[in-house]
Amino acid sequence: MTRKYFGGCDVGSTTGKAVILDENGTIVSTSIVPSEIDPEITSVKALEQACGQIADLGSYKNLARIVGTGYGRNEVAFANENVSEISCHAMGTFFCNPDIKTIVDIGGQDVKTIAIADDGSVLEFAMNDKCAAGTGRFLEAMSRIFRMDLDQFSLLSLNAKKIIPVTAQCSVFAESEVISLLAKKNPPEDVAAGIKTAVSKRCFSLLKRIGMRPLVTVTGGCAKNQGLIKSLSKKINMDVTALPVDPQIIGALGAAVFARRNGQRSA
Amino acid sequence: MNIFQELLESPQNELVEQAVSDGRIPIGYSCSFVPEAFLMTDKLFPVRLHAPGIAGTEIADIYLSNFICTYARSLLEFAIDDRFDLIQGWVFVPSCNHMQRLIDNLEYLQKPAFSHVLDVPRKVTEATIAWQAEELRMLAARLSDHFGVDMSDAALNKAIAEWNTFAEVIQSIGDLRKRAVPLITGTEFHKLIMASLASPKNLILPKVLDFRKEIEQRAAVGDFRARLMVVGSHLHDPDFIRVIESQGGLVVADLFCTGSIPGFTPIEIETKKNGDPIKTLAEHTFKKTLCPRMMEDFDRRLKTIIDTVKEYQVDGVVIEIIKFCDLWGVDSMPLVDALRKEGIPVLKLEREYSLGGEGQLRTRVQAFIESMGK
Repeated sequence: MTRKYFGGCDVGSTTGKAVILDENGTIVSTSIVPSEIDPEITSVKALEQACGQIADLGSYKNLARIVGTGYGRNEVAFANENVSEISCHAMGTFFCNPDIKTIVDIGGQDVKTIAIADDGSVLEFAMNDKCAAGTGRFLEAMSRIFRMDLDQFSLLSLNAKKIIPVTAQCSVFAESEVISLLAKKNPPEDVAAGIKTAVSKRCFSLLKRIGMRPLVTVTGGCAKNQGLIKSLSKKINMDVTALPVDPQIIGALGAAVFARRNGQRSA
Repeated sequence: MNIFQELLESPQNELVEQAVSDGRIPIGYSCSFVPEAFLMTDKLFPVRLHAPGIAGTEIADIYLSNFICTYARSLLEFAIDDRFDLIQGWVFVPSCNHMQRLIDNLEYLQKPAFSHVLDVPRKVTEATIAWQAEELRMLAARLSDHFGVDMSDAALNKAIAEWNTFAEVIQSIGDLRKRAVPLITGTEFHKLIMASLASPKNLILPKVLDFRKEIEQRAAVGDFRARLMVVGSHLHDPDFIRVIESQGGLVVADLFCTGSIPGFTPIEIETKKNGDPIKTLAEHTFKKTLCPRMMEDFDRRLKTIIDTVKEYQVDGVVIEIIKFCDLWGVDSMPLVDALRKEGIPVLKLEREYSLGGEGQLRTRVQAFIESMGK
């Protein structure tokens, strides 16, 4: 192996993500794996899968530097350092598009809003991690009620003719409310639009706490939910800027950017 | 250090038990507007009410709304569970509506033999100092009648002298945090302070002196990325500070109800010479208590934080607020803006009385330290 590679690994509550950058800062491989109970196993699986795609790299052990992030970052014993997912999402987004100043990160079990400084560092952030409402887990639970997978559910509300409000704040009670609404033969797409509006409102209140500056983007697995993005755009009265890479890997990408930057500094 | 940790594992620790078996009288209190020195007169000793390791407030929740802060609910839960059974008297301040509801319910449910409410004014003027002194005189009379204790000026002056000796020792340890290389962590200091507030001063003093000797011989307390100050309301659990410090932020200063700045400022001797110890205590209490319940006092609170930031070389301020605390909730909004205008990075954290969600707390603190470029 003549070239150096740098790895970022985002050990999330639902999935583990890895991104490998080469010396020039080009993304050479990525991976997304389901989270295991042990965060270290998740990180090894994600990194092995990403590294396996690079012919002259082989094992993750050959990476020049690894930065861990995500809720399981402290458990990635082999990482050279760990950086909070808040800083990593800011850096990953900045790497993709330096004009983006505000992020909504909708992860599996929490929602964060992040204001980015001109150098990619964090200016301000707010988190909702006390309640499942508005998170990926919430949308997952909702999609099950509709007997759909997440991709189908993502598109459902795009056909809504009106929005049927879902008023329950708690995700458990929201589930009962949605079941009742569907039992009353309300159109599923209208109920789905209500669910996404409820999530958008939560994101909006978090955005107001940090001061929303354009451009705005959404990261995390839920950024792939088209109905949610449409609803959020409407709520914030602004387009949501799409990222040139999979929004789910932004945290891992930020970690890889830190790994490359700090690795080259210490070399 | 373990000794202070052990003293915090129960709301009535072994030193309280020892003092009670020696015939002394523990008085529980929950607010800094109750002067500790006042409750150190004769056989009395103050015990700051705390609820270590509380797992839930199921019974208290029957009596107190879910919108009452978890500190008030935790104290009621412990009272109902007889965890304060050694406490022979209660002195409260209705510093907020939540505390008022606690007092009402505690008196209704427990019917304590001695319970007193100090009506503390919300402004500091000559007239309110006189009011506060009158309130203390009424309390002194009731304590004297009920417990047969000597609340004379001579006894009060003796208590003030004893409290000053203790406060000077605490302050000398606190001063070690100003050093470029501090000799004590924030977690250690908080354990020391909390154990001191929950124990009879004369019994804990030798242990504090031993601890001071021990830390003075240290070279340093390890590598940290940033120096932080923690500001907010009742913070009893040292684990909260431990989590902050686990992310590389050494807590070098604090300003909260149970903190040392300016809580352990010795009572000025000059004022004491005016011959009226009660008035001295009234003045001192207003001076050393920086609480958002006080009106027209925001600038003094802000200045104290800014001065402390400079004196202790603080990189960033963490403001911690117990959920539903109206006083700190409102005060923190202009406080955050004012501190940021001064160029001081601020992290505002909402929490419950007992530590929970350690992972989320770690993430917030780590991101805050990273955002400071540390």
